[in-house]
Amino acid sequence: MLRLRNVGWRAPAGAEILRDVSLDVAPGEFVAVMGRNGAGKSTLLDIVAGLRGPSEGSATLDGRPLDEWPLRERARALAHLPQMLRADLSIRAEAIVLMGRYPHAARWFESQDDAEIAREAMARCGCLEFRQRSLSTLSGGERQRVYLAACLAQQARVLLLDEPATFLDVDQQLQCFGVVRAEADRGAACLAVTHDVNLALTFCTRLIVLADRGVARDVGVAEALDDPSWLRTFSSRLDLERGPSGSWVRYR
Amino acid sequence: MLMPRISVARWIGGSALLFVLAGCLLPFVGPSRIDWGLVLQRQDPDWSILMDLRLSRTLLGLFAGGALALAGALFQSMLRDALATPYTLGVSTGASLGAVMAIALDWHTVAGVGGIWAGALCGAGVILFVVMGTATRHGQVSSSSLLLAGVAINSVCAALILLVHSFTGISQSFAISRWLIGGLDAVERPTLMLYAGVVACMSLLVVRQARQWNLLAVGEAWAATRGAHVRRALVRGYLAGSVLAAVTVALTGPIGFVGLVVPHLLRKRLGGDDRLLMPCAFLLGGVLLAGCDAIGRTILAPAEIPAGAITAFIGGPHLIWVVRRGGTR
Repeated sequence: MLRLRNVGWRAPAGAEILRDVSLDVAPGEFVAVMGRNGAGKSTLLDIVAGLRGPSEGSATLDGRPLDEWPLRERARALAHLPQMLRADLSIRAEAIVLMGRYPHAARWFESQDDAEIAREAMARCGCLEFRQRSLSTLSGGERQRVYLAACLAQQARVLLLDEPATFLDVDQQLQCFGVVRAEADRGAACLAVTHDVNLALTFCTRLIVLADRGVARDVGVAEALDDPSWLRTFSSRLDLERGPSGSWVRYR
Repeated sequence: MLMPRISVARWIGGSALLFVLAGCLLPFVGPSRIDWGLVLQRQDPDWSILMDLRLSRTLLGLFAGGALALAGALFQSMLRDALATPYTLGVSTGASLGAVMAIALDWHTVAGVGGIWAGALCGAGVILFVVMGTATRHGQVSSSSLLLAGVAINSVCAALILLVHSFTGISQSFAISRWLIGGLDAVERPTLMLYAGVVACMSLLVVRQARQWNLLAVGEAWAATRGAHVRRALVRGYLAGSVLAAVTVALTGPIGFVGLVVPHLLRKRLGGDDRLLMPCAFLLGGVLLAGCDAIGRTILAPAEIPAGAITAFIGGPHLIWVVRRGGTR
C-alpha cells in the first residue's frame, strides 16, 4: 500500500510545487495522474519513486517511509519510468531491458532466468524483434517500448510511469496502456502520468487531477464519467460524449 | 543471454593477448639493435638497455595508456558526455600545474621523491577537493555539477600554468614546454611497480562496477530507481578516474587523445556496454600508447617524437574516418 500524507514539495530555489497532497494507492489500482503542464505531476511521481524527499508530510510504502528503504529493496518493490531518457546510447535493447534485473542480483552477468524474464517483458511490449539492435538506431516509439519493458522486467509491485505513451503510435499507445492494465489486474499498483483523457478513461480505474499545487480531483472512472466537470481543469474545449457503445471525450 | 558471452570472452581475451605480446615484443623495438647473445648472458649494455630502459618504458606505456583510456570511458559513461576525457574533470590539469610549479621553482627532489612527481600529486590532490567541494550543493552531487565544476577549474589551472610559464627563465621554460607535451620515459623500478599497482587496483574497482556505469549512462533517475546509489557511485567514479589520470599525468605529462579516442573507437565497434568496453579500452589503450611510443622512438631515430604526438597523429584522422564512415551500429 502506497500512502502520501500532507505531502508538500518546494524547489531548492523556494518555489512551492506541491502542497498538502494526501492519497492512498492500493494494489490492483491503475491511477491516471493528470493535470496541466507544470501542475506537479512528475514531481509527485518522483516523490513516490523516492527520487525526491518530500519537504513536508510523509510518503510511505507498506508503512515504511520511502527514504528508509534500502535502495535495492526499494527498486525491487517499485519501478519508475522517467520522462526524458537518453536516446543516443549504443547499448543493445536487450541489455537495457536487463537493467531492470539489477536490483535482483548485482552479479557481473545476468542469469538465464533474468534473460527469460527480460524476453517475456520485451514480447509483451512488442519490442522483442529488435532486441539485438542498438538503442541509438531505434525510433522514439521503439525506444520507449524498450524502456517500458525494462520497467516490467523489474517485476515490481508498484509501477510509476511518467508519460509512458510518449512517441508511441496510436496502436502502441493502446498496447502500452493495455499492458499496464494487465499488470494492475495481476495486483500491481500503477500510476501513469498522461494527457490523453480517452486513454485514461478506457484503461485506468481512477483519475487524480492536479491543479493549484494540490489534488483537485480524485475520482474513480465510473464517477468521472457521471460528472465530467473535472474536464474543465484541462481546457474549456473538452466535452464528454455519451454513445451507446460508451463515452468518450471530444474536442470542441 | 545478455551479451553473447563467447564474443565477450573472445574480445577481452584477444585484447589481453595483445597486451601481453606488446609487453614482450615492444622492448626490442628501438633505435639501437639489441644483441641476443649479450641479453642471454645478461651482459651490459644490451641487457640493461633492454631491462632498465626499454622494458620499463614499455610497461609505463601499457599502464599509462590503459589508465587514460579507462578513465576516459568511465567519464564518458558517468557524465553522459561523448567528449569527456580523463582531463575533463580538472584533476590532471591540477597535476600539470603542480608539476609546472615544481619545474619553475627548481624542486629536484622533495622528501626523497622526484620534485615533478611530488608537485603533480600535490596539485592533483588540491584540485580534487576543490572540484568536489564546488560540485556539491546541499550534500548533492550530479554529473552536470561535476562536469561544470571540472571544466571551470580546468580553465583556471590552465591560466595559472600560462602565468607561471611566462615568469620563468629560458631553461625552465623549455623544460615546462617539453613536459606539457607529455611522453614516456624510463622510470625506476620501485616507482613503476607502485604506479602499476595503483593503476591495477583502481582499474579493477572501476571495471567491477560496470553495470552501475551502464545504468548511469542512461540517466541518474534511471540508475537510482534501479537500486544504484547515485551519489556514492559518482563520488567513487570521480575519485577513481581522477586518481588514474593524476598518477599517470605525474609520470608522463598530459598525453592527449588516448583517453578520448580509444573509448570512442571501441564504442563504435563493440557498443556501449561498459562490461565489454572498459576492459578492452584498458588493454587496447595500453597497446596503442606503448606501440605509438615504439614508433616515436624509431621513426626519426636518433631523434624522438613524443608518444602523445604520435597518438594524436594516428588517432585524430582515424577517428574522423570512422565517424565519416558512419559506423554506428
